[in-house]
Amino acid sequence: MTVKATPIGAGAGSLNATPGMTLRPTSLDELQTALADTTRTHPRLLIAANGTAADWGGRPEPMDASVDVTGLSGVLVYNPADMTMAVRAGTPLAVVQDELSKNRQRVAFDAARVARGATLGGLLATADGGPSRQCFGILRDLVIGVTVVLADGTVARSGGHVIKNVAGYDLAKLFHGSFGTLGVVAEVVLRLHPQPRTEATVEIPGTAEEAFAAAGRIVGSALDATALEWVHDEDAGSRLLVRLEGTPDGVTERVVTATALADGRARTLGGEAADAAWRSVAAVADGTDGDTVLRVGSLPSEGPRLVGLIAAVAADSKVDVAVSSTIAAGVHTVRLRGGDRGAHDQVLRALRPVVGAPCTVHRRDGLGPDTSSWVAPPPAAPLMRAIKQQFDPQGRLGNGRFAPWLTAPGPREKKTS
Amino acid sequence: MTPLRLRTEFIKVVGADGVVDDPLELRTYECDGLTGYRVVPALVLLPRDAAAVAAAVRICAREGVPFVARGAGTGLSGGALPVADGIVISLQRLRSIIEVDPVNRRAIVEPGVTNLDITRAAAPHGLYFAPDPSSQQVCTIGGNVAENSGGAHCLKYGFTVHHIHEIDVVLPDGSITTLGGDSPHQPGYDLLGAFVGSEGTLGVVTRITVKLLPRPASVQTLVADFPSVEQAGDTVTAIIAAGIIPAAVEMMDTLAIEAVEAAVTAGYTLGTAAALIVELDGPADEVAVHLEEVQQLCRDHGTTALNLAASADERAKIWKGRKAAFAAVGRISPNYFVQDGVVPRTRLAEALTRIGTLADEAGLRVANVFHAGDGNLHPLVLYSEANGEHERAEHLSKSIAELCVDLGGSLSGEHGIGMDKACSMPRQFTESDLATMALLRTAYDPAGICNPGKLLPTPRLCGERPGPHHPHPLESAGLIERM
Repeated sequence: MTVKATPIGAGAGSLNATPGMTLRPTSLDELQTALADTTRTHPRLLIAANGTAADWGGRPEPMDASVDVTGLSGVLVYNPADMTMAVRAGTPLAVVQDELSKNRQRVAFDAARVARGATLGGLLATADGGPSRQCFGILRDLVIGVTVVLADGTVARSGGHVIKNVAGYDLAKLFHGSFGTLGVVAEVVLRLHPQPRTEATVEIPGTAEEAFAAAGRIVGSALDATALEWVHDEDAGSRLLVRLEGTPDGVTERVVTATALADGRARTLGGEAADAAWRSVAAVADGTDGDTVLRVGSLPSEGPRLVGLIAAVAADSKVDVAVSSTIAAGVHTVRLRGGDRGAHDQVLRALRPVVGAPCTVHRRDGLGPDTSSWVAPPPAAPLMRAIKQQFDPQGRLGNGRFAPWLTAPGPREKKTS
Repeated sequence: MTPLRLRTEFIKVVGADGVVDDPLELRTYECDGLTGYRVVPALVLLPRDAAAVAAAVRICAREGVPFVARGAGTGLSGGALPVADGIVISLQRLRSIIEVDPVNRRAIVEPGVTNLDITRAAAPHGLYFAPDPSSQQVCTIGGNVAENSGGAHCLKYGFTVHHIHEIDVVLPDGSITTLGGDSPHQPGYDLLGAFVGSEGTLGVVTRITVKLLPRPASVQTLVADFPSVEQAGDTVTAIIAAGIIPAAVEMMDTLAIEAVEAAVTAGYTLGTAAALIVELDGPADEVAVHLEEVQQLCRDHGTTALNLAASADERAKIWKGRKAAFAAVGRISPNYFVQDGVVPRTRLAEALTRIGTLADEAGLRVANVFHAGDGNLHPLVLYSEANGEHERAEHLSKSIAELCVDLGGSLSGEHGIGMDKACSMPRQFTESDLATMALLRTAYDPAGICNPGKLLPTPRLCGERPGPHHPHPLESAGLIERM
């Protein structure tokens, strides 16, 4: 293990500028030791990897040390015939995909920040996802086993190497979206999918409302689209991107059907145009300096109204809006750009009463320093607190994430006190 | 206070007709589908709505009375086994389908609705609920959520956990919360995912929003006979390796086929060593291409007969036989245990050979029915109670589950741990794994009143785990010795 006395900020994002020690374990044993041996010397720890989501989930409080998990890297077990792979959680998913492509397999997951080096542990802990959530879900649906290390150094596994498995509680689910507040994800076991023999992208221009209707027809026609993403940005306007995968003949047939369902407005994108279209989807989620990026969940049928509302509020504040919606699932990634000072905060404030809890801030360049990364607590926030209390009673890990949900007493505590 | 003394208070909450205390009636709740374990509860409550469930649980929490939630009682691991001096909360009266929303492809239902009734309600919209456990005609969605039920089609479509958007849960302190939400993007820990499959130990689900899928455009089902289970197993691996994900891949061995044919005459070939059922679904062109490939792979691996279902009726007949297999075994054996374990798909043949050896050693017969696509075995251990074979059969059944763990698999693929396998959990998990799982349980249920004794091993039920060997003082002194 390497131990460096460098500012944590380097890898962990600009929000945490507290100087301190960085622990860089390179094995499960070292990670276990790093946590167990620092309970007194460095009581508060920040877990970080490649920093692709360092400012998601709330501003980290000052820490005594940072645990850099990028040293926990590499494939542990790969069973191509079983279509499972165990990987150290600090491994970038892009590296895993390269390895898998040799056997024409893949992790069916396409969050934008994978291209920027996001690790499996980070992607799990932040509950990220991409357009393929329409068909394959997100990592909660693809991780079949997990090894975690708790704040006191306890190593725990759940799940395993088989896809069908109901023995014990599923800790991978619990750690999904935990933002490093319950423990460190050390290893994950992934279920794999075959790479499609061929794929095609159909583009259907139209508003969110039209896209929702078209997506409904496509789903209803059982075309098994692996992505149905409505994109709106300044460059290309508004359009629904339909990704179809399968055998060459099957895809050709389904492209014809999808096109017919779109009343002649659809066109099939060639290789380069298709790549560019999907890059524009990733660009919404990534944002750039100065942008604010939010992800909002809604009932799918509410999506178009929500998108309209965001557009209206943003226009009032002279903010440019780009949106990427997994339209049939009700997941909308919203990028705010430009506008008056404080305008992004204004948009978020306007959204608050409408969207409720399922709104997360993924880039906050345009938000004021005091603006919370969370809009409203979910009904189960008291349960989250009770679980945090059990898993990390000393409050060692990820302090500041989810603020103020994990610290403020809720109705459950009030009732019993 | 004992539950009986709380009877009046429970009556206030669920009504006089909602409290069962007649000893004879109580006995109908003494076990679930795992009939080897029986405990008569002190009381059974039949609430009509979530508020009544919550009120009843609040009384239990105040008085420290253990409670067990129960749906149709079809579970096979004793997850709904009552606790002595505890109460059973039956969800049978919460059985309305609140809403079917075809636009958003979901339905809101109460926990006592049966799995198949959800699909029936969705059918007019061309939709269905994908998880299809063999007991789907009677098992309830509340039980499916508790057990994370699978079925024959989860190879392609996943388990119950992949088909639930949101649930309302009465927590062990009697408060009600909501887990999950309208979309898959939810903030915080995935508590919905952690709840599904928690076997009734984290709370009682009172309202469920399920995902509905459109019926596939095309379905093809074929049965391929093989001269050995190894060849059938290798065919499964080859199909998956070809990049084909069938909707279902099931296998039955000679003995299972014999039982099925005796019971329902489904058209399986008597005497064949293994029958493979492969179902492909999806867009028609896609299915046609894959069907050709699957048939070729079957031939490459020495199939002796290929039988393609020519109609929906023929397909239904194949499935009727497969789904009747457990019960059908009753035709060829007076008693049997249904086992449920998982091995990595590539180790199927090895697992079956070793199960055969274990069965020979025990002098008992084992019929094999399994979800071959995901390595989920359901060995049926045949025995005769009258001939005093019970204990031997139980031991064999347990050995088979533990063999699955040794082969890199799991103690359970879909039936759950419950009471049945709680004491085997240390075989699959370390002490710190189990202690960490216990942390989750404690966060929900600090008083330990919600389905206690299930899922995790307890010293009371499983005995103290043997610690490291310490020589007896007399041994150390050289006065005695061990062989």
